Amino acid sequence: MNMYKSLSDKFSLEYVKGELLKTAYGSGDTFLGRLDPRTLIFWYLFFAIVPWFIHNEIILVSFLLFMLMMTYLARVSRLILFILCIGLLSEITVLFIISLFFGGDLASIGPLFWLTIKLAVISLASVAIFTSLDPEKFSDALLRLGVPAQVSFSVSYGYRILPTLIEEFHKVILSYRLRGKPPEKTGLLYWRMGVYYMKILVLSFYPLILNGAKRSRTTVEALETKGFSHSTNNQDVKKLKTAYFSFHRNDYFFIAFSIFYIGLSFTLSIYY
Amino acid sequence: MVKPIIQVKDVSFTYPGSEEKVLNHANLSIDEGEFIAIIGGNGSGKSTLCKTFNGLIPQFYVGDFEGEVQLGDRETSKYSVAELSKDIGYVYQDFENQIMRPTVIDDASFAPLNFGLKDYQERGLWALEVTGISTIANEFIWQLSGGQKHLLAIAAVLSMKPKVLIVDEPVAQLDPQHAEEVYKVLKKLNEELGMTIIVIEHHAEFIADYCHSVVLMDQGRILWKEPVKTALSKVDELVLHGIYPPQITQAANRMQTTRHHCNGLPITLAEGIEYFCHFPQVIPFPYTEDRQKVPTKEQPIISFEKTALQFQDLRRQRKQVLHNIHTSFYEGERIAIVGNNGAGKSSLIKLIAGIVKPTSGEVKVLNHTATKASPEKLGKYVSYVYQNPEEMFIEDSIKKEIELFLKARKVPDFEETVKTILYDFALSELQDKDARLLSGGQKRRVSLAIAAAMQPHIILLDEPTANLDIATKKHVVHMLETLKEHVKTIIIATHDMQLVAEWATRIIVMHKGEIIADGNRYDIFGDELLLQKAGLIIPQIIELSLKLGLPKPLYTIEEFCSYFHSVEGEGLAYEYV
Amino acid sequence: MSIQKSYQLTQSQKMMVFILSMSLYGLSNMFTELIPSIQLGFIELSVEYFAFIPLTLCILFHPLYAAVGAALGEIIFGELMLGQFGGIGEVEKFITFSLGMFIAGILVRNPLNRKQVTFGVLAGLLIHHLLGTIVDIGKVWIGVEELEAISGLAESVIVIEGIALLNDLLFSGILFALLPTLYLVPRLYGKIEPLLGMKPRNNKVHYSLGQIVTPKLVVISVVLATVAFLSEFLSESDWAFGEWEPEFLETIGSWFIWVPISAAALISVIMLIVMRSKSKSNVKELKNLG
Repeated sequence: MNMYKSLSDKFSLEYVKGELLKTAYGSGDTFLGRLDPRTLIFWYLFFAIVPWFIHNEIILVSFLLFMLMMTYLARVSRLILFILCIGLLSEITVLFIISLFFGGDLASIGPLFWLTIKLAVISLASVAIFTSLDPEKFSDALLRLGVPAQVSFSVSYGYRILPTLIEEFHKVILSYRLRGKPPEKTGLLYWRMGVYYMKILVLSFYPLILNGAKRSRTTVEALETKGFSHSTNNQDVKKLKTAYFSFHRNDYFFIAFSIFYIGLSFTLSIYY
Repeated sequence: MVKPIIQVKDVSFTYPGSEEKVLNHANLSIDEGEFIAIIGGNGSGKSTLCKTFNGLIPQFYVGDFEGEVQLGDRETSKYSVAELSKDIGYVYQDFENQIMRPTVIDDASFAPLNFGLKDYQERGLWALEVTGISTIANEFIWQLSGGQKHLLAIAAVLSMKPKVLIVDEPVAQLDPQHAEEVYKVLKKLNEELGMTIIVIEHHAEFIADYCHSVVLMDQGRILWKEPVKTALSKVDELVLHGIYPPQITQAANRMQTTRHHCNGLPITLAEGIEYFCHFPQVIPFPYTEDRQKVPTKEQPIISFEKTALQFQDLRRQRKQVLHNIHTSFYEGERIAIVGNNGAGKSSLIKLIAGIVKPTSGEVKVLNHTATKASPEKLGKYVSYVYQNPEEMFIEDSIKKEIELFLKARKVPDFEETVKTILYDFALSELQDKDARLLSGGQKRRVSLAIAAAMQPHIILLDEPTANLDIATKKHVVHMLETLKEHVKTIIIATHDMQLVAEWATRIIVMHKGEIIADGNRYDIFGDELLLQKAGLIIPQIIELSLKLGLPKPLYTIEEFCSYFHSVEGEGLAYEYV
Repeated sequence: MSIQKSYQLTQSQKMMVFILSMSLYGLSNMFTELIPSIQLGFIELSVEYFAFIPLTLCILFHPLYAAVGAALGEIIFGELMLGQFGGIGEVEKFITFSLGMFIAGILVRNPLNRKQVTFGVLAGLLIHHLLGTIVDIGKVWIGVEELEAISGLAESVIVIEGIALLNDLLFSGILFALLPTLYLVPRLYGKIEPLLGMKPRNNKVHYSLGQIVTPKLVVISVVLATVAFLSEFLSESDWAFGEWEPEFLETIGSWFIWVPISAAALISVIMLIVMRSKSKSNVKELKNLG
């Protein structure tokens, strides 16, 4: 999925900030967003693993339909869907073209097509779930499921600290720019400019690492004074933190429907 | 009989990997319900001392620790930091880094939640209520102002309802109005809830107004602990340690040629009025205000033409930062831009540096349109000194920091220039050190030297005296004089009214993104309505001279003192001391 | 409370390294995700990632915490926040990446020895990318029913992955991992540790590189490092998967919930049970440490 990621180059810093807020906190109002995070995680675990081992075409197609439904319910942003499609298609195309060099023929398209479907099911499942899942809830769910508290803390801390980090990074880069000098010639395809900016980008981490060290010292001291280490080994605290988790009618309905649907797909595959 | 809540018995401490003793046989006892200030120059061990109170030292830092610290009746080395923290709260100087959670209410209730207290939400809300920020309970951290963040950091610690609250430099990063607000909160906690409050503080005026007693530290030792009035009256001793007592106390000290401290000197404004109103005044008035303006050159160096600036915040809402700015700056002016946080000071100077581009209108710098030029290009004429000097440090030695600009532009004989600058800013000795590892004052000096090395026409300083102790501050003012030899125009954005009063020839007052006044110190400091609107708090000495009903405001202690006959021998004034 | 004898960090110092590594590598990852890659035919010259950040921290501090922190930072900043979280797929990257960084960190004994740093960095990168390549090939293997039956497919997968591996090692590996690490490590050594209130890693141990690096040693150290990494990882993290079970059953109260997730549970839980049994055996050890 490298391509799908590299295509994201059009994102600007502003875009990142905006997207961050949207993905982070704009998710609670969909049907999936209102479900219990644990339901979503289990549902996702099934669809992220099982398709790999299914080679039956009917089941795969019905899974794909199910995923499309979920993607619709999760109101996944169109940009992400578009990038996802391009990524899948180009990856498979490249694979196909290269296989031709090694004596492959059109017959390889068949299996590659089903591989694509499989990948699509898995990717859509993750996109649908993780756009619906508020990261706070996700990290709480991880905590409840027994993942170390440091991990779930890091998720929410990441959201807290990102604006600060971007701000600091911005200032450091500005220092380089205000006191440095860009190359006079841009060079073929702006390669000189590219090198200039890459160099600044790498160098900027020298001050960032040192500043970060100071920051993390205060943060960890403060964590200690706020009893964080006390909470990491305490089951009651974990329960208290996730006390708002509860299974509602919608969760049962969602699970029951999923089981019914999966059962139906398997039954269909037996008869056809 | 009041019980001591903190007892430090012969404590010494050395950080791992260091030779120097940060604490050196320190002894101290703090009573329950005290409001105490710890003072001392940079590096005297104030923060380290406070970290022994909640057990961070020696449990968190594995260094050489000797002696014993007791919190209540518990010895701190025998309990975990978390356990002790239920009783003692610590608010850091860099308080932003102790805010852990993305939203206000989450952060406020974080500690009680970690301790598994069922009523963690109520506690969080209560703490927000006490600190007066309950209206922003559901906001995200990144939407808060500096002042709100500081109150949140306090609230997050308060939610544990501790017996002791330590606040490291509560006002260092705040404008005077917000600083006052923070102290009012601390006072309330002390008086209404009986909380013991410990502050590390440079600002003697706040100490005089709020604290009960003062502890002076020097090189890891505790020199003394005295009631506030006695402590602040020891003017000469304090100055020796780089602490400046309130201006009123300094003035009173100067007026008294014969030492006579039976009841101590006046330390607050009210006491100052009482004290000075009986002093014989010099007649006729010795000063005439220097009202002549710097001759206006026909050609401005910087001009703003109907400039406006908007930002888009994270929620994609447009925020108007500057409205219709229309003004010009000329060569030789010493310009101070004042106003509260969020008034638009920094944005204004960033426009000149070309770091931000206006949404509409134009900014011209030496006939270049700043709107179009890249920061690299403007860097030739304008240099911008950040509020936090560390953000300017990108190399690993001071010499390299200063060279960077000259080398990148292949300036011939740059070594000579670097040498001169190192000498001018008294950095020759330190040139191979990493700037980050220096003291606050030295860092500031390096940042000014970096700017001077760029040989700009215009230099822009954002809060050059923030976070400095008063002695270092005086040094910075002196550095500004050095800078003058290197540049044509200096523009400063600042909260520091003392600096403004002593240094600026032109003061621009900003409020909510607009320039609401522009004039010299006489125009600005004499206009009470204006000051109130802009939320400015004038230096104590000016206020005193106004309150005493003197014919005109006096700006420095020297001016003030020369207005009175000093009292010699058994003068009249003694009756009132 | 005396000065420590060997290089050992307290739990909170480890946490500092963890947070530092997580936030900075996370930030860098966000940028590298946004930098366009240069496409030369099928070969993609991408920046991929700023591995020098975790490498530097692994070499200077506790390798495990820096490595795991960085891997987690990538997931949080580069994936979750950009809305690109790949779920299970990230687990593989998490493990291979942190393993590679960890190995690089333990291979370097003296941070000021450039040869050692170079060797450590290259070894770490090679392990990370090689494992990643194997997993990628494995995915196609599992995903396509009869891979061998389709002529050319297996070869093309290997060619593509091979080119990607070379790119990762030679292009981004040297430019964005090796060179910056060589630049940063000596500059930060002795300077960053006091900021975290700790002592620099001991550099008194001197070996000549030729003496210690033999092919046999490399193989053995990789195997040992993997074991060490996994066991240390498990002992440091208090995985306790399964606490939810009773409560979960109570709430659902029906047996049929297990039908759809049994397949998933079979695969994931087996792995986690193995992990848990290991971690239980390590609990005593952990208590002794704590």
